[in-house]
Amino acid sequence: MKRRPGDLTGLLAWYPPSWRERYGDELVALIEDELDGRRATVRFRASVAWSGLRERGHEAGLVGEQTVPAHQVRAGSLLVLCSWTAFVLAGASFSKLSEHFARSLLPGTRTLAQGAFDAVVLLAFAGAVVVALGAVAALPSFVRFVRAGGGRAMRRPVAIAALLTALVVALTIPFLLWAHHLNSLQRNGGHGAYAGAYVGLAVLVGAVLAQWTAVGVIAARRIDWSRRELRVEAVLAMTLAASMVAISGATAIWWGSIGRDAPWFLQGTPTGTSGSPFTVNIVLTMALMVVAAFFGLYGVTRIARSWRAVSEA
Amino acid sequence: MTRAPRTDGLRRTNDPPLLILTSLADGPKHGHALAKDVASFAGVVLGPGALYGAITRLEERGLIEPLEVKDRRRPYRITGAGETALAEAVADMRRIADVGTSRLKLASRAVA
Repeated sequence: MKRRPGDLTGLLAWYPPSWRERYGDELVALIEDELDGRRATVRFRASVAWSGLRERGHEAGLVGEQTVPAHQVRAGSLLVLCSWTAFVLAGASFSKLSEHFARSLLPGTRTLAQGAFDAVVLLAFAGAVVVALGAVAALPSFVRFVRAGGGRAMRRPVAIAALLTALVVALTIPFLLWAHHLNSLQRNGGHGAYAGAYVGLAVLVGAVLAQWTAVGVIAARRIDWSRRELRVEAVLAMTLAASMVAISGATAIWWGSIGRDAPWFLQGTPTGTSGSPFTVNIVLTMALMVVAAFFGLYGVTRIARSWRAVSEA
Repeated sequence: MTRAPRTDGLRRTNDPPLLILTSLADGPKHGHALAKDVASFAGVVLGPGALYGAITRLEERGLIEPLEVKDRRRPYRITGAGETALAEAVADMRRIADVGTSRLKLASRAVA
């Protein structure tokens, strides 16, 4: 594809590379004909950009009907996996902010919050088991893929993931030693430098999770799945999405219960004081959980739309 | 495993794939000519993004096919499968239009 004036080339950047290669010149010619020397309006640009994003979504199997149903099932399953990664980050945040919550509850008010918390822990464990099962089920195909020379394409993303993991491990050890010398108040926001380092480490952990997920997605998109393997992965993905919804529900119950019986715990104020249950930490955590669960459910709808075709094929 | 060409999504009269197939039914056209033709017979303005999104899907499903590029503009023509899909869509719409027309006549007689 020849390079066009910066203006129109910029618009084409919204489209996936393979699409640009095939249709880019034609689209630019059409845009030039349509504009006939006039400048493109913001609305016109937005419309082309939106179409480009839709095309990217379509190429990823996340938008519109796919000509190959198996691609849609695979894309839906991978979307659930990506959602789970975001969900894990929200879960880590919940784990931190709910630390020692039972101590803040008055006698007789613990049952609901404790039950909801136990449900979150149990469902999170179940979700982790489902992800592990998915990895085990994918192993034979992955080995075939690597033996067929597919490993070359994976070298760079795996190297980045391994490097980030090593960095996190190397930083976590001094961080834990540092934490050991601080009291509970300092560890929970009372020490500026420690809080900053904690956030930095959390971002790095997030990057590690995201990179390993990217490795999984890149491999899964290159692997030639058998129908049986695809069905197994799809069932596991749907189970994982269901667990995300259930965890979000249990977390909401925990939040409601703590907000009613011990708002001081969420605010970090002395026992018995009143306060709003809407603190930044819990609101952001809950929002991330809900958004991740929503995308997980969207992945399930993608699977469901092509499930029959894949099952009968 | 390739799904047979679908005619789903060709039931609305402002649907870009339906409009493009209708336009190509009387001969090959490139993007700009398609957009102008669709605007003239349907009064629907298809933006470049929507037009090429629909062209991509129609080509994927084998309902249209590209011809040789002429001066950076590539004409497309309808395929046999595309003609069949268009014929089915038009027949469906005609059936609905006939029912609507006859019911409207009955209703106007009842009012009179």
